Amino acid sequence: MNPYRCVFQMGMEKSLEYRANFFLSLLSTVFQIIMQVFLWNYLYGNSDAGAVTGYTYSQIMVYTLLAAMVSKLVSTGFEYEVNEDIKNGGLNKYLVRPVHYMSYRYFSFLGEKIPQLMLLLLIAAALVTFSVLRLGLVLSIGRILVFLAALVLGITLNFFLFYCVALISFWLTDVNLMFGTVSVVIVVISGGIFPMDIFGEKFAFVMGLLPFGYTTQFPSNIINGRFDTVQIATGLLCQLFWIVLLFFAGKVMWKRGLHRFAAVGG
Amino acid sequence: MEIIKVEHLKKEFTYYKKAGGLKGSFQNLFHREALVKEAVKDVSFSVEKGEIIGLLGPNGAGKTTTLKMLSGILYPTAGNVDIDGFVPWERKNEFKRRFSIVMGQKNQLWWDLPACDSFYLNKCIYDVDDMEYKKTVEELAELLDVKDLMNVQVRRLSLGERMKMEILAALIHKPEILFLDEPTIGLDIISQQKIRDFLHFYNEQKKTTIILTSHYMRDIEALCSRAVIINQGQLVYDGQLEDINHLMGDKKLLTIKCNANADPELLSAYGKVREIKGSEVVLEVSKGKLKETASGILANLPVEDFNVTEVPLEESIALIFQKEVAS
Repeated sequence: MNPYRCVFQMGMEKSLEYRANFFLSLLSTVFQIIMQVFLWNYLYGNSDAGAVTGYTYSQIMVYTLLAAMVSKLVSTGFEYEVNEDIKNGGLNKYLVRPVHYMSYRYFSFLGEKIPQLMLLLLIAAALVTFSVLRLGLVLSIGRILVFLAALVLGITLNFFLFYCVALISFWLTDVNLMFGTVSVVIVVISGGIFPMDIFGEKFAFVMGLLPFGYTTQFPSNIINGRFDTVQIATGLLCQLFWIVLLFFAGKVMWKRGLHRFAAVGG
Repeated sequence: MEIIKVEHLKKEFTYYKKAGGLKGSFQNLFHREALVKEAVKDVSFSVEKGEIIGLLGPNGAGKTTTLKMLSGILYPTAGNVDIDGFVPWERKNEFKRRFSIVMGQKNQLWWDLPACDSFYLNKCIYDVDDMEYKKTVEELAELLDVKDLMNVQVRRLSLGERMKMEILAALIHKPEILFLDEPTIGLDIISQQKIRDFLHFYNEQKKTTIILTSHYMRDIEALCSRAVIINQGQLVYDGQLEDINHLMGDKKLLTIKCNANADPELLSAYGKVREIKGSEVVLEVSKGKLKETASGILANLPVEDFNVTEVPLEESIALIFQKEVAS
């Protein structure tokens, strides 16, 4: 068997071991959704919020429900492990074996995601069905397929994003606390809480130039029907572009970081 | 045939000085004084194929640093290492397939999964043939007596059990060279003994070249015929274990139990009194004078019991450590 397929399967096994942990983490998502539903209900009920945000009431509701799921799906957690590896010399065990650390981490991460993905997609399907029936969302098979493709790319993109963040550990030994801050900021600017384009076109333009929105906001808004074919194609290309760019950034950081690691001692 | 050749190996680390207390921490925010520590300075030795050598030294002597350079984890500051034609820190896959390193204080197994999963992963990584893999695992599990533990999550294993699993995982691809960094650390006497027996047997069977570091002299005595001793980063001894006592002046220990009335002080005339435990006295005598001294004591004193032993290896090695620190 290919070693990375093996790592992938072990990642799945590991995530099934920790299923209770995952279910509990879903609770926080539920609270997040409830709070926002109240907030948006109040805003849309008492003001002309739609004109300000550019989202209709049903769009913002669909977004709230879906983005919470997508944000959970693309979320990482391996950055803490990478930090541990670098800080405490756990990296040694990868260095002495004929494996690539990045591939190892990627496939382990994907494996850990799969069981969660299954469950979250079920929940997302229920939420989408609810949106179609109660919020007047119009959906097509094509759009769902494109959404799934964008989701997989979003997961990969977020992996490389956090891989690069995690590798900062080579230079700053104790960045554990930083990860908490960084991931909150990234979740927000990725549109994981509310869409970033409610702040107007200029803001949306800048966000479009950055990689973050392509992890969460872009896939969510595909379902929401806010993009035409050209915009979707452009978005997918941007996802690919950032994946390739961050992949190489990760490689360069790894090479330099490793040189430092091997010089100062693991 | 020499399989490992280490020449003038040297490793320096830079670190920062910090004065004690909060004041020192603040000072460090603005100005840090860099210091250089020579963890390993000019170490050279070589290892024959199939040999087990003990790499000894007190804490901080540079043993682990040396092993890390030999396995390519660290770049040396200067010097050369040639292992079977490879330079370790180039980290060629071909080289990685030839060796394994087990560190007593680190683990390579997946913590949340049974050990057999990690074994299988290693099989995939090293591309070991299915049949070959099955045979190896069965054989090793039998030898290490861990057959029933293969399907238990690693986190539920005891330290000794986990260590055996670590060693098993490291041997899946049948490495030609094995580095063991304190494989028996923190284990009880029986577990230590088992791991020792296993390593002895494995080395005899497979002719694997082994470099072992340990703080337990018993490990070293049982497994290695040769020792390389380093202290403060420098090589202080490279030779047969049995010659160490010779080097330290060839002393024998006489344990003498006298009749209760005899004055132990009388014995000091025959040699250096090391210890007095009630009526038992331990006397240090040079090897050449052993016969003469012993017969003298037996003739002149009311001896009840009499015993001749070697100076414990630990003691000789401790002396080597101290000698170097002093000089």
